[in-house]
Amino acid sequence: MHEAAVPARSIRRRLLVVLIPSLLFLVLCGGALTYLVALRVATSAYDRSLLDPALDMAQNVRIDADGPHLDMLIQAQEALLYDHADEMVFQIRDAHDRVIAGTQELAPSPALKTGEPDFYDGIYRNQPVRIASVRSGSGIYVQVGETLHKRQRLIWEILAAELVPTLLIALVAIALAWTAVTHGIAPLSRVREELLRRGPSDLRPLSEADAPLEIAPALRAFNNLLQRIRDSSAVQQRFLANAAHQLRTPLAGLQMHLEMLLRRDLDAEVRGEVGDMHVATLRASHLATQLLALARAEASDAHAKDAPRIDLRDVADAAVQRWVQRAIARNIDLGFVLDPAPVTGDPLLMAEMLDNLIDNAIRYTASGGTVTVRSGGVGAFAYLSVEDNGAGIPEHARNRVLERFYRVAGTPGDGAGLGLAIAKEVVDRHGGMLDVQSAATTGTLITARFPASAPDVTKPASS
Amino acid sequence: MRILVVEDDSLLAAGLTRLLTRAGHGVDHVGNGGMADSALRATAYELVVLDIGLPDIDGFEVLRRLRQRPSATNVLVLTARDAVEDRVRGLDLGADDYLTKPFSLTEFEARVRALLRRTSVPPGPMIVGGLTIDVEAKHVSANGTSVDLTVREWALLELFLARPGRVLSKDYIAQKLFNFDEQLAPNTIEVYVSRLRAKIEGGGVRIRTVRGFGYLWESFNA
Repeated sequence: MHEAAVPARSIRRRLLVVLIPSLLFLVLCGGALTYLVALRVATSAYDRSLLDPALDMAQNVRIDADGPHLDMLIQAQEALLYDHADEMVFQIRDAHDRVIAGTQELAPSPALKTGEPDFYDGIYRNQPVRIASVRSGSGIYVQVGETLHKRQRLIWEILAAELVPTLLIALVAIALAWTAVTHGIAPLSRVREELLRRGPSDLRPLSEADAPLEIAPALRAFNNLLQRIRDSSAVQQRFLANAAHQLRTPLAGLQMHLEMLLRRDLDAEVRGEVGDMHVATLRASHLATQLLALARAEASDAHAKDAPRIDLRDVADAAVQRWVQRAIARNIDLGFVLDPAPVTGDPLLMAEMLDNLIDNAIRYTASGGTVTVRSGGVGAFAYLSVEDNGAGIPEHARNRVLERFYRVAGTPGDGAGLGLAIAKEVVDRHGGMLDVQSAATTGTLITARFPASAPDVTKPASS
Repeated sequence: MRILVVEDDSLLAAGLTRLLTRAGHGVDHVGNGGMADSALRATAYELVVLDIGLPDIDGFEVLRRLRQRPSATNVLVLTARDAVEDRVRGLDLGADDYLTKPFSLTEFEARVRALLRRTSVPPGPMIVGGLTIDVEAKHVSANGTSVDLTVREWALLELFLARPGRVLSKDYIAQKLFNFDEQLAPNTIEVYVSRLRAKIEGGGVRIRTVRGFGYLWESFNA
């Protein structure tokens, strides 16, 4: 219910689409039925009391020389026909169907011939009226009519007494159904939130522990799929790791023999060719190393809750020994500005990432250039960055340098285009961000930012 | 000196054997862990160059068994696998140094030299570049000219000599040279290093500054 708009295929909406018309139909049916019952009750109750004045009047018709006439005081008539709610009228006809007393405005009874008291609906002065009629033995015919106000009121009262609770019940039912659906799909929302929180390569199964019976099979099927993806990517990673590993030993042998050969007294042409072979071997070795690093990064579970707290400063500290000699060999001033940068993660992967960033910087910076490694923490982030004053990354390539095997066209050197991809993979594994800033004149600054390790950083943060 | 090469890849093993033999060592080669274990029991080698990925019992196990026995054998581990993890595990088990395959010839030779130097400290003064250093007598001369060093400068020089090829951080130097009670000005280490540098740099050695971190000792024509 957090969303303002319910999506098109909402379970809730479908439920309401079915529920509201059905309930409405039932309420209407109930109302109609109640109306019929109420009409019947009101009619039979008030008809009986309408018959009494008709019988009274019939008994008070006298027949003398002038013919039949109503022998009743006007006050008595009024008393007889008084009603608090309705207007009452009467009409008396003789055997010849002539009106001898009362109003002219009532039509003769449609059941004029029968002797029994009769009830029917009529019209009096354009108002619907209910009429009771009796015929005495002497052919005198008495009709007493009354308007329908109190009957209608009774019908409405009965209807209201029935409809109001029914409508309330319907509304409560809809509300309950809505809540039930919300509750029912709450586990799905949790699943969604968990999946959203996850990193791009987190393929751990979802928890089925508190899933309702109805959702558990779907979760199980989903976890099954995750498992298969995990398995197949594990197979792929193992293959890659094995292949890279198997390549390294023969490459080591090749490199060693070439270097031994290069120490010999070779003529210039042979030396040049062996030198080329040596460069190609170094390149293949570098590639094998990077593929292994990539496979390792992919196979890692840096999101694991038991990932240790580490300081990126220590990672950078350790890199000093690995890189200083190589930087010196290339006449590059490799410097460090190291401040504490606590994070949670895999120190080996972090070292792998930093190695690749430094390797890139040294590789693509000309002799005499400067490379600076920095670590530190700013607010909720800890960072590790490598800056060089090399040629920079051309603008058109900046979005693509993180892709695997992408190399900027015309780049010198023997890189495979995997360094930044490895760094990106490691950063992704740790829920961080890799930022590439580059300008043709000032070089490249690559910053890996991670959530700083604070107490309870492994618990899901409330968003 | 006697060196055992344990490596199952014949190409690499042949290269290593030839290289070490040419350097004047007595080299044996075995291609699996079982034979390595037997050879190490039978002979007191000064150094074993040990591959981790072996066909039968792996290099870690050979190393573990070796370290259970009293032996002065130095172990240089070669690994083609997960470099950092193997490195940590190897060092935990008592390896003296490690190299990740593939490695350069000069790197390999430097490691071997450093390890062999451990077992045999040659008597008399050390020759480093153009420096002659007599640790016993606390005497240094550069190109034959005697150099006077203060106590702290001596300590600093010894730090560099103890960890050849390593960058020493300023923190590390401060920790080794001064006790906790001493208040150090931010540039104290720099001052000592530049004094030492001024006194010895004529002698074919150089103390290189690693910007923002520390110092690296370099010697030429060693």
